[in-house]
Amino acid sequence: MRRLLICMLLALTPLSGCKLEDLSTEQIGRIADSVQTIGKAARPMSDSEEYYVGRAVAARLLATYPLYRNKALTQYVTLVGQTLALHSEVPATHGGYHFALLDSSEINAFACPGGTILITRGMLASLKSEEELAAVLAHEISHVIHRDGIAAIRSARWSEALTIIGSQAAQELGSKETARLVTVFEGSIDDVVKTLVVNGYGREQELAADRTALAILAAAGYDPQGLPGYLQRLEQSGRGAKGGIFSTHPGSDERLASVRSEMPPSSASSAARRSKRFAEAVRTLAR
Amino acid sequence: MKTLIYVILISVLTAGPATAETVRVVTRSNAARAECRFSSPVRAKLRFGDRLNIVARKGDWYLVTSGAVKGCVHKSAVESRSFSVSGTGRGRGGAASADEVSLAGKGFNPQVEERYRSGNQGLNYTLVDEIERLTAAETELDEFILQGGLNQP
Repeated sequence: MRRLLICMLLALTPLSGCKLEDLSTEQIGRIADSVQTIGKAARPMSDSEEYYVGRAVAARLLATYPLYRNKALTQYVTLVGQTLALHSEVPATHGGYHFALLDSSEINAFACPGGTILITRGMLASLKSEEELAAVLAHEISHVIHRDGIAAIRSARWSEALTIIGSQAAQELGSKETARLVTVFEGSIDDVVKTLVVNGYGREQELAADRTALAILAAAGYDPQGLPGYLQRLEQSGRGAKGGIFSTHPGSDERLASVRSEMPPSSASSAARRSKRFAEAVRTLAR
Repeated sequence: MKTLIYVILISVLTAGPATAETVRVVTRSNAARAECRFSSPVRAKLRFGDRLNIVARKGDWYLVTSGAVKGCVHKSAVESRSFSVSGTGRGRGGAASADEVSLAGKGFNPQVEERYRSGNQGLNYTLVDEIERLTAAETELDEFILQGGLNQP
């Protein structure tokens, strides 16, 4: 079949040496099937597959960071996050957006592929207003939208996954193939977690997430100045985190300059009302 | 003969959804709404894989029918966010075809997750499930947006 396909592809070039006229209708049909299979084999990761990667990444993070159980505060963060997500270009993901708090004094936030966003107690404690909370969440939502977590997976892993997936015509994989796929899956989770926790995203990814965050904030009616305001305040205080919104690359100077140059017009109002409810929500936060 | 092969090649390589005016739901759950905005009442609940017929497009929304129900769904509920792993682009995005939906069943799926979980007992999937149950009711979200002087989506 492979030789036949090669023969056919060559036939479409001026260097053709194959006698295509000799092919039967059945052979042509088989060639078409092969071409279709090749096309499918190059498919990107689907939204539902991204969702299962995201669940595994969250499970890994939650094995390290305990959940901070504060129902009222979690609900408040969820309401801010859901509002922002609805104003983003991707308001619906396969499993939806979910927001939860981690019981850690570290200042950090993590965007798991697919839409689960985890924010530490330490980061919440470092925020001064709902505008700043919205800025942090909008930045993380932007990483979800841009699929930056999935982009951290080594391309060779996905190629291997596609080879396994395409190795059987049956609707479901056999036990052996599933075991191989689980190994690839495990490696993929390692790639994403390493990027989220250790390496951080790349320069362009962070700058792009800032840009998208500004657009989301403005669309939702938040003051986008919350983003540079928070970045500057944390920089001045000399506090930060390894990953998430405080990735060390690019440096905060470059990020601040970029954010300020991209600042969208804002018609934000009622900030006082939002500040009041923010203060009420974080009052119960363990410091 | 050569022409015939060209026709076959082009048709199989460009094959998209079942029909040009049909899309499938790519999210686990979603809703067809009376009007094309999120604050509009839900006319029907939609589930992953549901096939919808496109009647019209309105900005980021599709006006669709599903059986006797007619309503609006946001494009992100029916367009797969195609993206190459470790790629540099954002991908094309586009309506999810039946092939995409069925092929995804052979990739990273519940069976793979189950095997991964059983081999990694230290992972906390119980908490992940708990987090996925955390959500805001639409009425509560509406009130929150209104009370905070924010924009309706």
